[in-house]
Amino acid sequence: MIVILFIVSVIIFSLVNVLPGDPARLMLGQEATPEALAALRKEMGLNDPLYIQYLHWVGNILHGDFGYSLRDHSPVLKTLLQKIPVTLELTFFSFVVAILIALPVGILSATRRGRLSDYLGTFFALSGISLPSFWLGILLIYLFAVKLKWFPPSGYVPLSENFGKSIALMILPAITLGTHLAAELTRMLRSSLLDVLQSDYIRTAYAKGLLERAVVIGHALKNALVPVLTVGGLQLAAFFGGSVITETIFGIPGIGQLVVNAILTRDFPVVQACVLFMAFMVVVINFLVDIAYSIIDPRIKLGEVSKG
Amino acid sequence: MKTLRKAILPFVVIALFAFLAACGGQSSSNGGSSSDAKSGQSASTRTDKSKLVIGLDADPPQLDPAMSTAAVDRQVYQSIYNTLVDIDKNLNYVPELATSWKISDDGKTYTFNLRKNVLFQDGTPFNAEAVKFNFERMLDPKLGSPRLSEINLIDKITVVDDYTIRIHLKQPYAPFLSVLSDRAGMMVSPTAVKKEGKDFANHPVGTGPYKFVKHVKQGDLVVERFDKYWGNKPKIKTIVYKPFPDGTTRLTNLISGDVDIVNTIDYKDIKRANSAANLKVSSTESLGFQGIQLNTKVKPFDNKKVRQAVNIALDRNAIAKVVFFNGVVPATSPFPETSWAHPSDLQVPKADVAKAKQLLKESGLSNVSFTLKISPSPQEKQLAQMIQSMLQQVGFKVKIEMVEFGTLLEQTAEGDYQAARVGWSGRTDPDGNAYAWFTTNGTLNYMKYSNPEVDKLLQEARTSLDQEKRKALYDRVSKILWDDAPYIFLYYPKDYKAMKNDVEGFVHVPDIMIRTENLQFK
Amino acid sequence: MSQTNAQTAAPYPNRLESSPRLRSLKKALGRFFQNKLGVAGGLFLLILVILAIFAPWLAPYNPMKQDYMAILQGPSAKHWFGTDDLGRDVLSRIIYGARVSLKAGIISVAIALAIGVPIGLISGYFRGFWDEFIIMRITDAMLSFPSLVLALTLAAVFGAGLNNAMLAIGLVYTPHFIRLVRGQVLAQREREYVEAAIAAGISHWRIMLRHILPNAWAPIMVQATLSVAGAIISEASLSFLGLGTQPPTPSWGSMLSEGQGYITQAPWIAVFPGLFIFLAVMSINVFGDGVRDMLDPKLK
Repeated sequence: MIVILFIVSVIIFSLVNVLPGDPARLMLGQEATPEALAALRKEMGLNDPLYIQYLHWVGNILHGDFGYSLRDHSPVLKTLLQKIPVTLELTFFSFVVAILIALPVGILSATRRGRLSDYLGTFFALSGISLPSFWLGILLIYLFAVKLKWFPPSGYVPLSENFGKSIALMILPAITLGTHLAAELTRMLRSSLLDVLQSDYIRTAYAKGLLERAVVIGHALKNALVPVLTVGGLQLAAFFGGSVITETIFGIPGIGQLVVNAILTRDFPVVQACVLFMAFMVVVINFLVDIAYSIIDPRIKLGEVSKG
Repeated sequence: MKTLRKAILPFVVIALFAFLAACGGQSSSNGGSSSDAKSGQSASTRTDKSKLVIGLDADPPQLDPAMSTAAVDRQVYQSIYNTLVDIDKNLNYVPELATSWKISDDGKTYTFNLRKNVLFQDGTPFNAEAVKFNFERMLDPKLGSPRLSEINLIDKITVVDDYTIRIHLKQPYAPFLSVLSDRAGMMVSPTAVKKEGKDFANHPVGTGPYKFVKHVKQGDLVVERFDKYWGNKPKIKTIVYKPFPDGTTRLTNLISGDVDIVNTIDYKDIKRANSAANLKVSSTESLGFQGIQLNTKVKPFDNKKVRQAVNIALDRNAIAKVVFFNGVVPATSPFPETSWAHPSDLQVPKADVAKAKQLLKESGLSNVSFTLKISPSPQEKQLAQMIQSMLQQVGFKVKIEMVEFGTLLEQTAEGDYQAARVGWSGRTDPDGNAYAWFTTNGTLNYMKYSNPEVDKLLQEARTSLDQEKRKALYDRVSKILWDDAPYIFLYYPKDYKAMKNDVEGFVHVPDIMIRTENLQFK
Repeated sequence: MSQTNAQTAAPYPNRLESSPRLRSLKKALGRFFQNKLGVAGGLFLLILVILAIFAPWLAPYNPMKQDYMAILQGPSAKHWFGTDDLGRDVLSRIIYGARVSLKAGIISVAIALAIGVPIGLISGYFRGFWDEFIIMRITDAMLSFPSLVLALTLAAVFGAGLNNAMLAIGLVYTPHFIRLVRGQVLAQREREYVEAAIAAGISHWRIMLRHILPNAWAPIMVQATLSVAGAIISEASLSFLGLGTQPPTPSWGSMLSEGQGYITQAPWIAVFPGLFIFLAVMSINVFGDGVRDMLDPKLK
């Protein structure tokens, strides 16, 4: 894990350093004088050899210092801490949306195999996986905000400030981001439920005369959820990628929007910090999924989950 | 075969759905106003009159006026800071932190009488020392302030008494008051600067009607009424600035959301805003110019005939109509119609493809191609594609390259371009629209344009205090610039602001700022 | 943990693993045609390919032709999908846009294959220090970046433009293929035939190219097909954010971003290109699923 984070940091640092653009010029803007530029370059250590700059950067991060934004000179860490809860909130609601859709659709699909509801469920899963999130987002805004006016089109209010409004603003983006996951989960749930339903012990349960619903919920679902949880956990990581587009479309001030703006405006310290944070989260979540998996299914030893 | 048909069905259903959505939009684009209006009525019963929300087109990146380079910053400054002098609707200079001023006959010494009993929001008293501190801070090359080029003609600053300050210039500089009505004239608290240092931009302190509370990047910027403000006490307690980079989203939030006024609406949305029953729209011509910057030191634009061909080939009226829905004024010079320096005899010509072809032929070049760099907004893309298509008829091959705006400025500054879509927000005094742009080695002259006659005329115009004489000089400059064509003037932007019907007290000054001090709800 | 996290990309850990036994082509094709959805996807793909290849003959108008008298017109008999903000025919632009999207999808994946397959093959075959500690660790690290963010950064490094975007997307997909191929090779390498071949003194290169690779190609092809769908979305995303295709070349992603601003006045500008992205991606997905079922009916 440490090794990976080290390589991750080297990759980020090198990528950002080959990004075209002069940080000093960016900081001083359209009307900067050459003298000021030279002075600032020196002060920022831009004339040092790259490995020195890298060591400085890593050293500072280990001390909790992520540097300052080139755009507004605000401390990057502070900005990051402002953005993280926003993205987490979006992630949470998207996850809720995904589960709310995937559980019923997946179960229905698997238990009514070959019938209309299975057909519709499979179709939903297929289209959900193929829907480009930016298109879905635009359609949702157009339909539900512009035409029907059920929801506000975009924006963000913290939960603590105005609960109802915050939720109302979160619904469309959560659907946009959650649909893809819902589709993945539905697919996964259906096939793993089918597997379990055909296994011996379920047949035994049937033979004992238990009601179908009790069988499904009591036995099959519990077992079928194991792989579903894995997919869900691993997909959480992919959420950061998805949040980039969703946050841009819906004007949600989270990490995704921050990193896009930082890349487009060449705000190097912010890019570095955001990408490092995202990669860090992915590494940590994968680790947690491994642990969760081994708790749910003790037969599997840590580290063997997805090896197969 | 039956099952195959079943399998194709979902594709057809989706296609149908999308098609209906598309067509539904068409029919409602005519009737869209009625649905906009409906929601407007429900929103007009305002219960909370203590909070006003301003929608901005971008997140203000810099809250220190000495360091600011983005136009949007200045909107927020209207709440936090005061300037030494202000301008009114007709571009006359009016008192703000300076109550009166005197300019010596040689135009080199400015004496300001300062307002008494003014406090910065941190309690620091405002006085002549504070003014001196501010100018010296901006003049210090170590700070690297973009203001430096605006005020580097200052020779020295003398504190006459607590409330009188005298500024000596190295040479007469007619636009000086205009400069002081903008960011260079905004006074920040010396105590706060000394305390916060670099972090001042995150804890800005001025003398304005509202004090800074918090700023979430790409999110809310909140200011609150400053109770010890020297002027009229603002009626509204809290002002929230919210960024909405997308124009449609911004307007939709104004019509059916909690936004009360927006700093600009897209040209394509003017009609929609006008027809929304709960909104009123105000417009004014602004101070700037927009067009194409040509690098006169590289091929093919080192050839004057080529530049002239571009200049005459573009149909400015079509551009104004298609891209801007006639919300802008076609341009021929750096001075818009609001400016007294506007050359009214320099008419917008009809696009002349034949003449352009002739000029291109005379240039001796064939297969002329170049890259036009633009910043990546839909409107810029649309404009660039029109330019591309119009020039293609003449025989130019234009490649469009999208570059982020900051990078675009950087590349043009380094001469790494052939043509670039960069404009100017404009200044009150015509000097601010011409000197830095068109004199040899001017700080914004990225065209590397050099014409000794223009240099002489512009130098003369900035040192004279006689407006009639200056007007004649600027007319001459406009004519030469049209002929030399280092910059293709396309249009003068107009400013459109929309606000809820019950927002009162807004005065539309051509500097397009929302002066929050007098805003209130009906 | 470092061993496992790279699997993020493959939500179905098992579906590609066990080596498929290729039966007769006829039987396999028969299975494919039983998968009606797969056939439908394949048909639509075929239509798209035909549209892309014969665009100049099939498009009713020149996709770049601007008509200032006909801007923002809704769908009509004259313009089936309406016109855009410069009076260009949306249908014609979509037909030409198919070229960009398909090209982007295929070339990006081809780049990923061209880099990923040899590295995975060599790494998995020889194993040892380079494999375990260098290549796999870098692969793991690459896979812990959200793919769109990595693609965005790479595209920003290379500069805007379709070719650079394809390169960026290709690089982002590369580690997936390294990992997949390596896994296949590791499995094959333990087989008796490989040990027999080594014992018989056949050169390593020959074993890799003649014996191992042919046995591993099926899951690679399936993964490649499905990746094309992902790459099309990635290109559209980059174009949407301004880092992909440059104007006036029509691409579905850039049409969508240009149309976004007109969503209230002229929704057709954004709706139709999005629809085609959706349909293309969905077709490839069901087609890929069909191919997978065809190659190995045991997997579902």
